Amino acid sequence: MSVTDAGSVREIPSFCYNCVAGPDLMTVRVVNGVATRIDPCHAAAAIHPGLGKICVKAFGLVQKTYNPHRVLTPMKRTNPNKGRDQDPGFVPISWDEALDTIAGRLNDIRARGLLDEAGLPRVAATFGHGGTPQSYMGTFPAFLSAWGQIDYSFGSGQGVKCVHSEHLYGEFWHRGFTVCADTVHTRYIISCGNNAEVSGGVCAVRRHADARIRGVKRVQIEPHLSPTGACSAEWVPIRPKTDPAFLLALVHTILFEHERSALDLPFLRDRSAAPYLVADDGYYMRDPASGKPLMWDEASGAPVPFDTPGVQPALEGRFIVADAMTRGPDDEIRPQRSAPARTAFTAMADNVRLYTPEWAAEICDIPAETIRHIASEFLENACIGETIEIDGEMLPFRPVAITLGKTVNNGWGAYECCWARTMLATLVGALEVPGGTLGTTVRLNRPHENRLLSVKPGEDGFMVSNFNATGSNSWLSKPSGRNAHRTLVPIVGNSPWAQALGPTHLAWMFSQDAPKEWPKPPLPEIWFAFRTNPGISFWDTAKLSRAMARMPFIVAFAYTFDETNHMADILLPDATDLESTQLIRVGGTKFVEQHWDHIGVALRAPAVEPRGEARDFTWISTELARRAGLLERYNAALNKGAAGTPLNGDGYDFSLATDQVHDVDTIWNAVCQASTVALGGTGEVKDLDWFKQHGHYVVPFKREDWYLYPTMKRLGLRFELPYQERLLRVGEELGRRLHEQNIHWWDSQLDEYVALPQWHDVPERWVQSIRDTGGDPADYPLWGITTKVMPYTTGNNAGIPLMNEVSENLRGHGAVVINAATAAKLGIANGDWVEVRSPIGATAGHAAVVQGCRPDTIVIPGQFDHWKTPFAKDLAFPSLNTVVPLSLALTDATGSGADVVRVAVRKIDRPVRAGAA
Amino acid sequence: MTRYVMVADLRRCVGCQTCTAACKEGNGTPPGVQWRRVLDLETGTYPAVNRVFVPVGCQHCANPPCMEVCPTTATRQRTDGIVTIDYDLCIGCSYCIMACPYDARSLIDQTGYAFGDTPTTAEAARTGRETAGVATKCSFCVGRIDAGLARGLVPGLDPDATPLCVNSCISGALSFGDIEDPASPVNRLLAENQSFRMHESEGTEPGFHYIWDKGTL
Amino acid sequence: MTPSMTSRHQRNWDLRAAGNFIGGGTGSGLFVTAALAAAAGAPFRLALAIGLACVIAGLSLVWLEIGKPWRALNVFFHPHTSWMTREAIVAGILVPAGLIGAVAGSTAVTAVAAVLACGFLYCQALMLRAARGIPAWRQQEIVPLILSTGLAEGSGFYLLVGAQTSNWLVFALFAGLLREVAWLAYRAGLGRTPAAARSVAVFGTPPARFVRAAQLAGLVLIALALAAAVLAAPPAVILALAGAGGALAALAGWGLKVMLITRAAFTRALAIPVIPIRGRSTHARQS
Repeated sequence: MSVTDAGSVREIPSFCYNCVAGPDLMTVRVVNGVATRIDPCHAAAAIHPGLGKICVKAFGLVQKTYNPHRVLTPMKRTNPNKGRDQDPGFVPISWDEALDTIAGRLNDIRARGLLDEAGLPRVAATFGHGGTPQSYMGTFPAFLSAWGQIDYSFGSGQGVKCVHSEHLYGEFWHRGFTVCADTVHTRYIISCGNNAEVSGGVCAVRRHADARIRGVKRVQIEPHLSPTGACSAEWVPIRPKTDPAFLLALVHTILFEHERSALDLPFLRDRSAAPYLVADDGYYMRDPASGKPLMWDEASGAPVPFDTPGVQPALEGRFIVADAMTRGPDDEIRPQRSAPARTAFTAMADNVRLYTPEWAAEICDIPAETIRHIASEFLENACIGETIEIDGEMLPFRPVAITLGKTVNNGWGAYECCWARTMLATLVGALEVPGGTLGTTVRLNRPHENRLLSVKPGEDGFMVSNFNATGSNSWLSKPSGRNAHRTLVPIVGNSPWAQALGPTHLAWMFSQDAPKEWPKPPLPEIWFAFRTNPGISFWDTAKLSRAMARMPFIVAFAYTFDETNHMADILLPDATDLESTQLIRVGGTKFVEQHWDHIGVALRAPAVEPRGEARDFTWISTELARRAGLLERYNAALNKGAAGTPLNGDGYDFSLATDQVHDVDTIWNAVCQASTVALGGTGEVKDLDWFKQHGHYVVPFKREDWYLYPTMKRLGLRFELPYQERLLRVGEELGRRLHEQNIHWWDSQLDEYVALPQWHDVPERWVQSIRDTGGDPADYPLWGITTKVMPYTTGNNAGIPLMNEVSENLRGHGAVVINAATAAKLGIANGDWVEVRSPIGATAGHAAVVQGCRPDTIVIPGQFDHWKTPFAKDLAFPSLNTVVPLSLALTDATGSGADVVRVAVRKIDRPVRAGAA
Repeated sequence: MTRYVMVADLRRCVGCQTCTAACKEGNGTPPGVQWRRVLDLETGTYPAVNRVFVPVGCQHCANPPCMEVCPTTATRQRTDGIVTIDYDLCIGCSYCIMACPYDARSLIDQTGYAFGDTPTTAEAARTGRETAGVATKCSFCVGRIDAGLARGLVPGLDPDATPLCVNSCISGALSFGDIEDPASPVNRLLAENQSFRMHESEGTEPGFHYIWDKGTL
Repeated sequence: MTPSMTSRHQRNWDLRAAGNFIGGGTGSGLFVTAALAAAAGAPFRLALAIGLACVIAGLSLVWLEIGKPWRALNVFFHPHTSWMTREAIVAGILVPAGLIGAVAGSTAVTAVAAVLACGFLYCQALMLRAARGIPAWRQQEIVPLILSTGLAEGSGFYLLVGAQTSNWLVFALFAGLLREVAWLAYRAGLGRTPAAARSVAVFGTPPARFVRAAQLAGLVLIALALAAAVLAAPPAVILALAGAGGALAALAGWGLKVMLITRAAFTRALAIPVIPIRGRSTHARQS
């Protein structure tokens, strides 16, 4: 068709937040009431780091809206039997029947109590990728808040498909729930598998492209040549899961093959714990009177508390401390008299002494000289001593950064990688300063919208951190959720996001096989699922689907039929992206390379009428609250800020009457007005009508606030590096608690609680897992890993033909990427059907034979293997998820695992349906 | 004189296919027809491998081979360099497809739709004309350019007068403008960087320039 | 860049288009042979009529292939540069000339028609040569190949429907050898053209080898027929050898065109001459 629009044409401002790298501001072109096109928001070019552009996924929203396969009426299941092989027998019902059915169950639960006999919430909820569903669920958070305790532990990939260790350790060390390079200033980036050009969103792509033109050098260390590797100056094909060895070798090289003058010594001395003295028992030497960690004062030649004015601390050295003490686990005080001590820096150097480039070369399959030249370039570009003016302030300028990718950042080895990355930055003072490695947001600490304000002085000169208690009286021995996050993972804390960051696969695993020490957790009586499809997005999807089928009552907000709502009891069609109303926060710093010079809010207004009987999520939430007798609490939650901003605050009050049912526009009008006032700026109040016209409202955001360093300096705080005394103590305490309960199945996870990370044979864990399942490692000679293409990056796009069509231009889409030499050995030609098999099953797809992949590795992009989702199920694409096991042994101490599996690959004559073992 | 050209900075392009999708949605091309697309090329042998993303489409040649062979004069060249197709003249012989060294033209026998034989509401709402049976290709969004010019806008600078692929490009790889205008961004880009045109030896003088490094030869 | 990564098999011209080159080649060859036959006093009207039918059939097949057949007359609009327009114009004269020649049995008109047929076939050859998107057609040696193949097909076909005397066997043999030279030249040229690598590979496949074998077998049979004629073998032997050889000469030409148009036609690979520089260190050492 050649398109010429005629008739009534409107351009409706909106946003796309289908992936965590957004939101992208956009414009919807509507002709005679029908959305025909998505455009970038050119009006935002001046305030958006990506010049108001939108990612490829947004262009699929028109097809998404008019997808003929949409579920457009509420439906109920008529077949009580659940399972992949069962026809659910969905039949249309009215909204009244659907909502009354759900409310009836909710009311019944409330009458019996929110917690079941095991003390677990009777209601559970799962939302998809990275918190983005919250930007499409209207006021549902207010409903959830009004309800009370809810179990968020049933994951759809959370904890294993994110950057999990970065989330936990990044936030712990530098309030970096997500971490990126300060791309706009940096000159040198070591990227271990970070795929910014694919999953970094519009802002990252633009920033990195500008940086390339400016002359940044990025070295990409990854087993296959991703688009990010392609766009890098150098590709280093590393053996999967050996990144800890590579990074530890970089630390070694810098410490043992370069002058100390190459380091940022003042930063190490004043902003890190490098000078703290460590006793032989592994804990800090402390002042017996104050309990404060000691440093060796070179002026007086004696140990002094770390915060002694005028101290000249020794960065390195071994000393004899006359009178001190250490504080071990469970507050055990251990006197130290005339005891040897070394600085944390020296302890670190001792720890990495053996990690030479030659040592790492063997493990990583990277030449030692490559490691050396990367270390040298890192130091050469660090600009030690230089400063840069930001917002009128002179800040250190350290334009070198280290970024980590998903599989590097998840599961075993990720702690070591996160530590080494953050330590490398610390060595040259490139942590949280211009040009360096930055956190972007917080989720385990509050307030979420300003990570700088989350920095509060804690013990020992560090930021406060809210770990789950591990003390003998305070440890939660009985899990409060089905994944036991507060019991097993101290560092994850107990913030609203914590549970979904716990070991979310444990909830699925324990629902089938609970540890003998714990009673088998009852399943939740109601499970809400929205924008999530664990039936294809988690691992061992066949096993997980069987677990889902056992859920007694599932309410799925349904866009089309899919592999998860196939098990549902009620389907609710929510008005989707172009049909619904919501105001969300934009700008400031958050998630993936979202570093704005502005901060504000943006509205998604209905560009078109909802299709069929689809209803706005806010309407659904209000109706559920009303029918469940929660209206007052629901409205109160809205007033408290459940829709993004408190409706009353300093000098303003747009509160909603709590005893009334408010329509969608009334609610969001109040949120619009409150949000604009709360942002400050000109003091003008912008209402819903204004937003419908203009789309977004922003006020300036100080660039200095991109960096944590000024806050740390102002508060006199140190980054909790290099030595991890706190983690060591917490680990020992956790071990004691578990052993007191006679629980030993978490022992290997306890090994991760070390003060200084050491290399252990990380890849061997995956080889061992083959033996554990009775297999012979020789039968599974290749590594299977995954990657992404932008049209499918974390978005629910599998049912949208446009995304598939444009992705077909990219090599490996919907295929098994395999090295040409390996393929030749296996008799596989480009385009041949191949089967990828692990001990738990097999998946099949066409071979994409390439040079840009290690010979010992195959790559299956995306998450497919659909059997229910319309359109997607006919693609017959392979999926790594089908062959990756849910495994306790492959779960690290943070509760994370990685998208890695040992596989066998063979040519086949025809496709074998997914999941066939 | 005016000559509109496209500049693709290969240092910037990440192969995201946003331009491909924007073109398809904006121009309503049927499934399988892509006027703008991005190639994913690989060269070398492991481990010395390069992977490059290359936006392609009609090169709006100064000497268009497609126009030379077209038996109907449906393919024409405007004074501003844009090569167009008159769908009312084209007989769908596909000869132009064979003549194009850039594989930029398409012809389908029957219009297909995203979800099969039936158009979606959005597809049906497009008041366009049927292009099954005739050759189609990138027109540099000539309708947008003309509409923009009529409003006094500058193609390449004002989004309303600029091709959709350029508007959509997230990495800033695609630029558009009048190469004869010394002040145009495309002129500056080409002056400050090293570039090439594809298949220069064919003598087609493409209006599509690829930047690959800074500086000049 | 690896050309195969971006070179694709063209799918817009199928057997119908190949049919035009088959009809055009055989038809034109028959026109030329018929004109020579007419001049020599040999039977020519049937050959001319069949040649005419071939040309018309070929053009009809094209008409069936184009997307907008009812606008087919637009094909005449661009004689300035388009060899397709020129082909159509020549065809517009060639067809009535052939018709008159065949119906009236006019030697003069047949001679004119043969000249037009040469022009028609030349247009077809140049059509392929102008297709810059298909390296296998862009090859300059395509022109003598198309011309000689047409002559070989026509002269071979004439052995089936005309005379099988030594003169015509010599002519068919000459045309076949001419085609052999043209083929070898074309094939060698293709081998020197990196962009045509995939086409070269197709000409090595079993179907192509079969066509090639048929072509050589046709030549041998015609040569044997000639020998038989010289040695005054029984007419039935000569007839059998000449008929089989002529048929193979024509069929091999048809097969070659099917290969050339539908199997060996790959688009020109999109490639870049240099790798873009995507980031280099700015501070200290350059690498």
